[in-house]
Amino acid sequence: MDFAPLLGKANFWAYFFIMLTGLYGMAVKRNLVKKIIGLGIFQTAIMLFYVSIGSKEGATIPILTAADAAGRGGIDAAAYINPLPHVLMLTAIVVSVATLGVALALTLRLWRRYGTLEEDEILARLRGDPGGEACTPRS
Amino acid sequence: MHAALVAVIAPLFGAFFCVFSGWAGGKREHWIALTALALSATAALDALLRVLKGGPQTYLLGNWPAPFGIAYTLDPLACALVFLIAAGALLNLWGARREIAHRYPEKDHTFYALYLLAAAGHMGMVVTGDVFNFYVLIEITALSCYALISMGSERSELASLNYLLLGAAGASLYLLGVGFLYIKTGTLNLPDMAAILPAMATAPAVGAALALILLGVAVKMGLFPFHGWLPGAYGEAPAVAAGLVAPMTTKVMAYVLVRFQVSLFPPEFLRAAPALPQIMVWLSVAAILLGAVMALYQKNLRRMLCFIVLAEVGYMAGGLFLGNRDALTGTVLHIYADLAMTLCVFMAAANIERRRGSLAFEKLRGLFGTMPWTMAGLTAGALSMIGVPPFCGFFSKWYLIKGGMAAGHWPFVAALVLSSLVNVLLFFRVFEIAFFEKDERPGLVAGDVSAARLVPLAAVALSLPLLGLATGQIVERVVVPLLAPLT
Repeated sequence: MDFAPLLGKANFWAYFFIMLTGLYGMAVKRNLVKKIIGLGIFQTAIMLFYVSIGSKEGATIPILTAADAAGRGGIDAAAYINPLPHVLMLTAIVVSVATLGVALALTLRLWRRYGTLEEDEILARLRGDPGGEACTPRS
Repeated sequence: MHAALVAVIAPLFGAFFCVFSGWAGGKREHWIALTALALSATAALDALLRVLKGGPQTYLLGNWPAPFGIAYTLDPLACALVFLIAAGALLNLWGARREIAHRYPEKDHTFYALYLLAAAGHMGMVVTGDVFNFYVLIEITALSCYALISMGSERSELASLNYLLLGAAGASLYLLGVGFLYIKTGTLNLPDMAAILPAMATAPAVGAALALILLGVAVKMGLFPFHGWLPGAYGEAPAVAAGLVAPMTTKVMAYVLVRFQVSLFPPEFLRAAPALPQIMVWLSVAAILLGAVMALYQKNLRRMLCFIVLAEVGYMAGGLFLGNRDALTGTVLHIYADLAMTLCVFMAAANIERRRGSLAFEKLRGLFGTMPWTMAGLTAGALSMIGVPPFCGFFSKWYLIKGGMAAGHWPFVAALVLSSLVNVLLFFRVFEIAFFEKDERPGLVAGDVSAARLVPLAAVALSLPLLGLATGQIVERVVVPLLAPLT
């Protein structure tokens, strides 16, 4: 394996670091909201990665124009950044917003049922009281 | 081949109609859902018959040419699975109208909408030939499944949130892998990508991409050691939802691995990294053993079934990476067989839960006396899971064991046999409680559930020996054409 080409790509290293930050939050934090924030950071790193792979040095935004007399403009793929990864990430952003929405809705239900968002406390209550009825519900 | 599109679109639109009907104060969501799923199953059957007769086809959505637009790859493997999913979702929902109306008096339309969305997502994942479209469908399915699961028992919200955190991370890893593949190949179309990849099979980025995709799908599939979410999520889900997600999700993910293994992973790549299949087979052995042992400790029928599902995931992943024809055949057969038999036992369990209120073992006493038909269905599913001929579970396991022997991987063979023996023990313990112990509690509802719940269960139970007897046909018409390019 030859890792030399990777060393010159500072942007990839930045996304890698952001991704690991997110994973750390998801794996280590015991608070459910912090876990969800970790997930958000993790997903954002991947979106940034996609956005950066579409860009090119010296290229412009991909809006087609009619070619002029000298033949500039028109469909000249080399002059445009690649719009496809950006479009894909629009979809991924929608997906991540929906995921966040569902996660927050679940968190809200957990808060109402157990009155806490610490995973350890919820698990302790589940162990001590399988039905969960004796917990103090908050509304 | 618009039929394939109809199969996916019908439940998708049905979901929206259910929501609108709920807003309008209607009470027809159940019939909308059944109509949508019946339409979907008919269309899938039509597509299946066409590809059996005319060979594999590509359907271009909106007639956009293949590398640019999204294409559906339709072959017998995919169409048969879509049909099984649509028919299974239909039968599972058939008799659940009263249960859903009773459990979610104001929210039944959301339940139906989510159920249909999940069904549509599963079918879309099977037919799509576009790797990014697949990601979107993973998330459509997963999000509706999280919501469905959280409508279950008191513990279901936490189980669902755990599933969400792991599942979203798994899907993101898959997305990252797709990004790497896109950088290298410049395409998202699966057949197109498969044609380009062999030229760069040993590039580190391709290896990393395939590893990330594998990791993401393994998380979604619940393969050891990423199984943590599975028993909780499927064990705490509402009975009807569990009957949809437990049989379908893991099997669809196994199907995707088969698809990637056969068409995407270049043989040079697997040769360059011989450790990868070995690791996957050993993980599968661990999954089978863990599922079998943990199932022994459960004191609740559904929890027990969840751990059996976990072991079955190991069967399929192991067969896939043993790397010979028999094992792959076994995996494909097991995808169909396990879908049908898991559906059968989960539907029977849902019937018992409806009558007894719980599936704890002490609630199962005297069931053979009071619910003979449901127990007959459960017995059929159990015999298939144990692997008794002529039930379909026997034939797939036979091929898997044959493949394990051919590959010389004795631990895998031993794990398979051991897990079958444990299944015997598990189910006969349940039958012992249900047959010999009598329940004398007063106020117990006597009699079996209604015919609307029994007829679908009977249909699924009957399909098990039929699928088993059709093994030769399935191998000849589905598996052989699939594996033909791999000679």
